[in-house]
Amino acid sequence: MLDRILILSVFIVASCGLAYELIAGALASYLLGDSVLQYSSIIGAYLFAMGIGSHLSRYVRDEDVLNRFIDIELLVGLIGGISATLLFLVFAWLEAPFRGVLYALVLIIGTLVGMEIPLVMRVLNARHAEFRDMVARVLTFDYLGALAVSLLFPLVLAPKLGLARTAFVFGLLNVGIALFTAHIFRAQIRGLRGLWLRGLVSMVVLTAGLLTADRLTLWAEQGLFGDQIVHARTTPYQRIVITRWQDDLRLYLNGNLQFSSRDEHRYHEALVHPAAESLPAARSALVLGGGDGLALRELLRYPQIERITLVDLDSEMTTLFAESSALTALNGGALRDPRVRVVNADAAQWLEESREVFDLVIVDLPDPSNFALGKLYSVPMYRQIARHMAEGGYLAVQATSPWFAPNAYWCVVTTLKEAGFNTWPYHAHVPSFGEWGFVLAAKHTRFTPPQSYRVPTRFLDADTTRAMFSFPADMQVPEVEPNRLNNQALVHYFERDWSRVIR
Amino acid sequence: MRRRDFLGAGLGGLSLAACEPFPSQPRPPVTVHHPGMQAGHALRDQGTRNWPEPTGEIDCDVAILGSGVAGVTAAWKLAREGHRNFVLLSGPEPGGNTAGGGQGELRHPTGAHYLPLPSRESVHVREILHALGILHGDPQAARPHYDEMSLVHPLQERLFDGGRWHDELLPVEGMNARERERFQHYVAGLRGKKGRDGRLLFAMPSASSSQDSEWRALDALSFHDWLQREDYRDARLHWYADYCCRDDYGVGSQHVSAWAGLHYFVSRTGEAANADTGSLLTWPDGLHTPVQAMLGQIPFVDEAGGPRRLAGTAVQVRQRGGRCEVIALQEGGRSLRIRARRLIVAMPLFVAARVVEGMQDFGFDARRHLLPHSSWLVANFQLRRFPREPVPRSEHEYVLPLAWDNVLREGKGLGYVVATHQLIRVARPERTVFTAYKALPFDATHATRRRLANAAPGELLDEVAEDLLLAYGDALWPLVERVSITVRAHAMSIPVPGFLSNAGLTALRELDGPIRFAHSDLSGYSVFEEAAWWGWQAALGVLGERS
Repeated sequence: MLDRILILSVFIVASCGLAYELIAGALASYLLGDSVLQYSSIIGAYLFAMGIGSHLSRYVRDEDVLNRFIDIELLVGLIGGISATLLFLVFAWLEAPFRGVLYALVLIIGTLVGMEIPLVMRVLNARHAEFRDMVARVLTFDYLGALAVSLLFPLVLAPKLGLARTAFVFGLLNVGIALFTAHIFRAQIRGLRGLWLRGLVSMVVLTAGLLTADRLTLWAEQGLFGDQIVHARTTPYQRIVITRWQDDLRLYLNGNLQFSSRDEHRYHEALVHPAAESLPAARSALVLGGGDGLALRELLRYPQIERITLVDLDSEMTTLFAESSALTALNGGALRDPRVRVVNADAAQWLEESREVFDLVIVDLPDPSNFALGKLYSVPMYRQIARHMAEGGYLAVQATSPWFAPNAYWCVVTTLKEAGFNTWPYHAHVPSFGEWGFVLAAKHTRFTPPQSYRVPTRFLDADTTRAMFSFPADMQVPEVEPNRLNNQALVHYFERDWSRVIR
Repeated sequence: MRRRDFLGAGLGGLSLAACEPFPSQPRPPVTVHHPGMQAGHALRDQGTRNWPEPTGEIDCDVAILGSGVAGVTAAWKLAREGHRNFVLLSGPEPGGNTAGGGQGELRHPTGAHYLPLPSRESVHVREILHALGILHGDPQAARPHYDEMSLVHPLQERLFDGGRWHDELLPVEGMNARERERFQHYVAGLRGKKGRDGRLLFAMPSASSSQDSEWRALDALSFHDWLQREDYRDARLHWYADYCCRDDYGVGSQHVSAWAGLHYFVSRTGEAANADTGSLLTWPDGLHTPVQAMLGQIPFVDEAGGPRRLAGTAVQVRQRGGRCEVIALQEGGRSLRIRARRLIVAMPLFVAARVVEGMQDFGFDARRHLLPHSSWLVANFQLRRFPREPVPRSEHEYVLPLAWDNVLREGKGLGYVVATHQLIRVARPERTVFTAYKALPFDATHATRRRLANAAPGELLDEVAEDLLLAYGDALWPLVERVSITVRAHAMSIPVPGFLSNAGLTALRELDGPIRFAHSDLSGYSVFEEAAWWGWQAALGVLGERS
């Protein structure tokens, strides 16, 4: 009877051992990519560590075997159980040492797991079991346990419970085996009370982990922003998160980086100045989107611009950037400037209803990542914008990356042409975004890139401007269709282009 | 059992039990409209006698009775050709099956909601769309350019089947691929195919179709029987054919002539320079927009001699001494006498049969020649928020977003259309309107209509909400601000087997005298192209006489 119980525990112990290995492998390939490399190196390290464990098991004295086995079960349960969550947290908060922690955990767990089977065999051996029979049974159940988990893990556990909770479940199993063994062999065990206490504490820790794993990983994923979150708010339209690390303020909308204060000047100077500098007579400007006020800040550098209308959907966004001192320091209080009128409305709807005409129009709307947003980059939308533009005016459009999404970028250019605009595509390197694209458009053909700027600039000068308007040999124009409302070619290009970039 | 299965089963039980087994969400306020019912039933009950003595009189060259698509097209064509001396009498429901409601972003159809790209033969539709600025360039070009705002934007349609949404109405999964292909191949082969008389076998408008008896013989059997005969067995293909018949003709494939069934699939051959073949034109309030635009192009004035628009319903039409005389009932129980040299009767034939004196003399015997009409419910659900669509279960699963037209294979209705789909917006509007359509099962005994006339609003609501509940569950109810249900009990003529050889319809189509008929009923089924065709023909007839 006791032998049978021990054999059953072999089955469970073996399941748990393989589970930790699989979790580590899955997590590594999930977070680091290159799954073949991750899986084989994790399995290798794990098996190697099990060898070490087997070797170490010889130093356990015969009279301590049961006690050590129980200790090891408790330790494996505790460390293995929290391993996945720990790794998530480490990856989220401290990216660099992730590999170190990963392999350290794999080696520790592997070593402990490697000691389990030799110790069980010694317990059975001490109980005078037939050696031939004993080895056969132990190894049979060892491998059976492995088979069970290798099937359960990908088919049921990982998809249903997720990695973090799966690890806690197996941790609980290990601790359960420890306590069960302690109970069965209570007559032969020393320090039973301390052992029970340790076991119960482990149980509590693991159960708590199991229950909060969801929140912990969420917390960890939010930690993926990397930096301290100084503001987070969910508005009817989006989730606004602002982070700070040293002097770097970052804005994320729905998890997508909108700017980093370290290099946003590149983006906003490029978006605004080629158009604004080329129209010294400009009196009025319209900004669609851009609730952070950073494009406004650049426009306000031109004293001759008398009125600027900013149309941004989200009043919480424009209020935040008008009131928070850290943010007004960044945009220079642009949203409070008397020349600026902030309209919280849907830009497309506002264009339909307004009759106003502007000299400059700056379009800083979300990327065309779905059918609804794709319509903002369509021929009818650009015709609508044209109705709000003075004959001599300029339009500048943010148009995703010509490097990562060349088909999408050039589709925007083609669409503007189809809408009757003359276009001057250009691009700038914004380190936190990579190579970024813009399109300058006008109803006339007079534009030439500025040679100098009358307003102070940090990024733009004659040389960078010349480089912006020239596309090197590896960024040539692909053959693309314009974006029509009824086919939404742009959304398809955008999806296809970015899917080649993002793993 | 999945949640949705449970829901479906629950609903089935509900309609039988007539009381709800569980207390559920409170229902939103419902308004029910029965356009034309009062006037129609008064005609039925009162006959052509005893109308109040006319208090006014109008004299004109042409009077058009009814302002649905046929009537408006006739008026539009007359005006376009320079004819001014006519009167357009609205009838009980201006716009008829193209009526719409709501304001601003919440405009919605209370009738038909789309128009397929017109085929080469639909010269009249092309000319109208061109004049309205919806079709650009040469209106008769093989592949004209269409206004993008009017073409349905992606996602055009999706089908809920087996617990999730699919992006095509013709199901791909769970369907016999060979049958699917065979059917599509057969239909494609018929497009452009001509009969022995050199005309297209299945043309839109149907009047331009071939008279080849070999093909018109299809009219002897139902579309369902034809599918059986051709050895189509797949349940999903049958569902699709049945759905298409219900969607266009208001009844299932068992009650529709095989010729009409094939006509649906074969005749929509319109191409565009800037859209795929088979694309659709739509507006937030459906066909209300183009029909209103047509009216806007008629230079109506409020005096004798100019084109005039009058509210009122014709209750009596007769010929007296070479003139046509109409009694029109107006608001407040007053009536008006209209004398005209020519009449265009643009009302449904079951109404005309009670209004126009001497229909038999035209060769039309209502008892033998009237086609049955299907009953429809059009329900507009005004929502304070968009309901939550299923979210992807993993990063790699792609869940179809809300489409313009959303159909449920297990639904008893025809699905629902999103009125705000065509808007261009940075964020989707907060509120929207879902228009749910339901064609009621074919009923030769008129029990359905009697039920509809007296049904409580709550009863009708349960009936029209079925599809939406299947898609969203009870979570829908808190989102619904209000529901307006339009009951179209005599919505559309059904092209039942044998409809092609209906002698009464042929007689009315060929009528060439002071009274002409213009209505989609002449074709046997109700679509914009057919209604407009008969309005166009009537206008041409009148104009031809004048010159």
